[in-house]
Amino acid sequence: MAHAVETRGLWQVFGGNAKSSLERELKTGAASDDVASVLKEQGLIPAVQDANIAVAPGELFVIMGLSGSGKSTLIRSISRLVEPTAGEVIMQGEDLLKASKSRMTELRRTKMGMVFQHFGLFPHMSVIDNVAFPLKVRGLKRKERHAKVREIIEMVGLAGREEAYPRELSGGQRQRVGIARSLAGDCEVWMLDEPFSALDPLIRRQLQDEFLSIQEKLKTTILFITHDIQEALKLADRIAIMRDGRIVQIGTPTEIVLNPVDDYVRDFARDVPKGRHMTLDEVMEPINGAALSEGGPQLSTSMTLEDALAGCAMSFEPIPVRDGDGKVVGVVRPELFARALGSDT
Amino acid sequence: MSLTQDLPRRLSASRGTRAGLLVLAVGIVCLLLEQSLPWLSIWPAEWTVPTTQWIGDGLGAVLDALKPAMRAVSAVLEYPMAGANWLLNTIPPVLLIGLVAALGWYLGGALMAALGFFGLLFVLGSGYWSESMNTLALVFVSVPLALVLGLSIGILAYEVPRVKAVVQGVLDVMQTVPTFAYLTPLLVLFGFGPVVGLIASAIYAAPPMARNVLLGLERVEDEVKEAAVMSGGTRLQQLFLVELPAAMTQLLVGINQCLMAALSMVIIAAVIGGFNDIGWEVLLTMRKAQFGQAFLAGLVIVVFAIVIDRLSRALATERRRYDWRIGAGIFAACALIYLVTLSSMPPVAELAWFDGAAASVDQSVGEFTRQNGAGLDSLKNSAMFYMLLPLRIGLDQAVLPFTWGFQWTPAMSAWFFLAAAVIAGAAALSGRTTLATVLGCLAIILETGVANLPWPFLLAGVAGLGWVAGGWRLAFFGVGLLSLILLAGLWDRAMLSLYLSGASVITCALVGGALGLWAALSKTAWLVLQPICDMLQTIPLFVFLIPVLMFFQIGEFSAFLAICAYAIVPMIRYTRHGLVTTPPELMEAAQASGATTWQSLRDVRFPYAVPTILLGLNQTILYAFSMLVIAALIGTTGLGQSIYLALGSADVGLGIAAGSAMAILALVADRLVQGFAKAQREALGL
Repeated sequence: MAHAVETRGLWQVFGGNAKSSLERELKTGAASDDVASVLKEQGLIPAVQDANIAVAPGELFVIMGLSGSGKSTLIRSISRLVEPTAGEVIMQGEDLLKASKSRMTELRRTKMGMVFQHFGLFPHMSVIDNVAFPLKVRGLKRKERHAKVREIIEMVGLAGREEAYPRELSGGQRQRVGIARSLAGDCEVWMLDEPFSALDPLIRRQLQDEFLSIQEKLKTTILFITHDIQEALKLADRIAIMRDGRIVQIGTPTEIVLNPVDDYVRDFARDVPKGRHMTLDEVMEPINGAALSEGGPQLSTSMTLEDALAGCAMSFEPIPVRDGDGKVVGVVRPELFARALGSDT
Repeated sequence: MSLTQDLPRRLSASRGTRAGLLVLAVGIVCLLLEQSLPWLSIWPAEWTVPTTQWIGDGLGAVLDALKPAMRAVSAVLEYPMAGANWLLNTIPPVLLIGLVAALGWYLGGALMAALGFFGLLFVLGSGYWSESMNTLALVFVSVPLALVLGLSIGILAYEVPRVKAVVQGVLDVMQTVPTFAYLTPLLVLFGFGPVVGLIASAIYAAPPMARNVLLGLERVEDEVKEAAVMSGGTRLQQLFLVELPAAMTQLLVGINQCLMAALSMVIIAAVIGGFNDIGWEVLLTMRKAQFGQAFLAGLVIVVFAIVIDRLSRALATERRRYDWRIGAGIFAACALIYLVTLSSMPPVAELAWFDGAAASVDQSVGEFTRQNGAGLDSLKNSAMFYMLLPLRIGLDQAVLPFTWGFQWTPAMSAWFFLAAAVIAGAAALSGRTTLATVLGCLAIILETGVANLPWPFLLAGVAGLGWVAGGWRLAFFGVGLLSLILLAGLWDRAMLSLYLSGASVITCALVGGALGLWAALSKTAWLVLQPICDMLQTIPLFVFLIPVLMFFQIGEFSAFLAICAYAIVPMIRYTRHGLVTTPPELMEAAQASGATTWQSLRDVRFPYAVPTILLGLNQTILYAFSMLVIAALIGTTGLGQSIYLALGSADVGLGIAAGSAMAILALVADRLVQGFAKAQREALGL
């Protein structure tokens, strides 16, 4: 299956002569961590080192990390807002880093959309002009482009505010404009750089839900950046966790929570209520001849621990767990829940 | 631990002490050897390089080569200028007044409309309407040139990072080179006439626009720029559809500054003559000692400056625009007045509503100076004898029976130095070694006088200050540039300029600092001072000369006063600003710790404000240097005078050399103060 977006050995190094230094170090064939530390000794800053991600069409891919971990730089390298130092960015079979300037402009007009943390709205343009800007730079007439964006403005819930200026809008409304604008150019790869970080928690949750329903409708490929593990777990099909410019783990939300590769990832996962992400097939034991009582709570492998716990909190017997076909495949005992939900024991 | 053991450790302690000791040592050696080695105090003429002549010859050749092309440009520019001139002089004044009042309404409501209306009405009544229109025509043609030039330079510097550093350096130099120095080469290129003023003002007014364009573009949020990129805009689309419009407020500030600079320069350029404009009128009446008329013409300039400044500033503030229909009504009313008075309106040149007032100003100033002549003279003389002269030529020459009532003797010098040594020694023993060395150096300056300072001492001083403020680079920068002045044989004149600007800067720092402090402590004080500061900053340089001339005649003291009046404003503003903007939690913390108002001012607010105050001092220095040249018109010696003389004789070599020397002094002072401000900011972690 062709990937919608793929990066291969992508490096972004800041500092004088970054390119030649990196090329020289890469030629030695050293591991990327060693290359990075050599570069650091030379006073260079490897903001993204050897990033390899492959995003499937329609996938919601979240890149997560603390500030300074290089996640914003990574997305800017992919969209070539900053010029990557080495590597490849393949979008639908085309290496973006080899594309000419005008080809990049073309691609941004037709294939990419981007939403910014602080909205990046044009202060001198009304809502509708902001949203229609990608169409304006393509040369569409005013009437035409306004007609085209009305639907998008309606979809993000801004109907009636078309003539307002950004300074007259609340934070949540501003980001709706940002989202609408990024969609105006028929994007196929949608990049969102911490789109909800600057908003109040309540507004954030509301926009997350609306974002998911937009995604349901459009089914675009999404690169979503966040520093919030809850947000990542809620939205992601898969998550890439970054630290100091390195991608340390890529996996589904469950994999990240249950099998953190190192303490850094474990620290992220620590605050996550595991019961909400773990399913029973991860904790159950083999039946091993245990006596199964009938008539207890009905459990299945795909149930989360939280849901299961609610059903069998009162039971002390081993409780059978069935697979999708209703066949008993294992049992759980309440103490297994306790062990699983407890901190990293 | 005993003092003797303690002393060496203390002496080796700070950077400032080491630099101070070195400078002091150089100074003492120079003083001791002054008699036997006269070249230490006066740079021998045979050691100079004929820079002035080289510049004259070299530049002369370049200018000669350029001359035909420039004369053609000049001929082309005659057309728009004649056009603007014709237009402004043909529009009936009442209609123009109506137009400006209507514009004022649209931009800023009733207040701005009234300002436009009464301001221009005053100009009309003064009888200087057509002279004012001539000036305005120059501004109208030079400002678009300056705007296009500034916009292009700003965009270029923004687009090409490598050009940026160069452009900023050039803009810095353009701002420090004195205005008169521009005029001489332009005079040679374009020949006598108004085109010189036009070009000079376009060149002079472009840098503020360029700076604001660059600043505005750089301040556009990164995400806004990125959003333009990601929307698929080409570079040109990004720039013209997003970045420039988003920077509009800053661009309008640039337009305001550009207008004011152009107006100021057009008026200064009047010294060339050949164009019957309002600046020329001021010069003429000043030379004829008709102070009433000079004052009136000066007021016309001030009114112009204020109207242009406030209207263009209203344009730059983001507020709702007023209903244009009322503006149209205002214009229609003026048109009606015009039609009604069509037959009874006398020619504008014959209007003289205020001549009576001018005459009475003349009379009362005459009366006042006659009655208080003795008082004014004694004020002037005490300032000269007890402050300016000693600073200029030192106590040893300034203290005469004629001035102080007794003759300074070598024995007094010895006592003076002994006293200085005792005070400095006391400071050193109490641990303030840097202060001690500074005191020693000050004693030498006071005894010798700035104009007679041995050059090695001054170079060492600059090197020491530079080293303390910004390390070796800054030290080399200062010494290198000043050595050029020495080699060019302009040292003695430069010292005279340094003395006068130094005296003004010190006065401004003390008085302005005190006023700023007062304004920070009392809201009422600021209510009084703010409009005065606004006013002083709007008035073109030239106009400052009129009132001082009225009371103190031509001379160094008048020049000193004019420089102080102009240069004091930034000191007041920055001092207040620095003190007022102390973060409230710092002041609350001081209060909660039990500090009195005075203690929290001295120990918390003042240290916090030092970087800002230093920036104010920096501005004051630059202002003083730019006024110094204008003040040459009313009698100063030094570089300013040379630049002015060069203009009179079209001597490009002297004009450029003296202008550069002036720029060097200003640049070195600017870098030193900025170095200290930066060090202080870093120390505060700002």
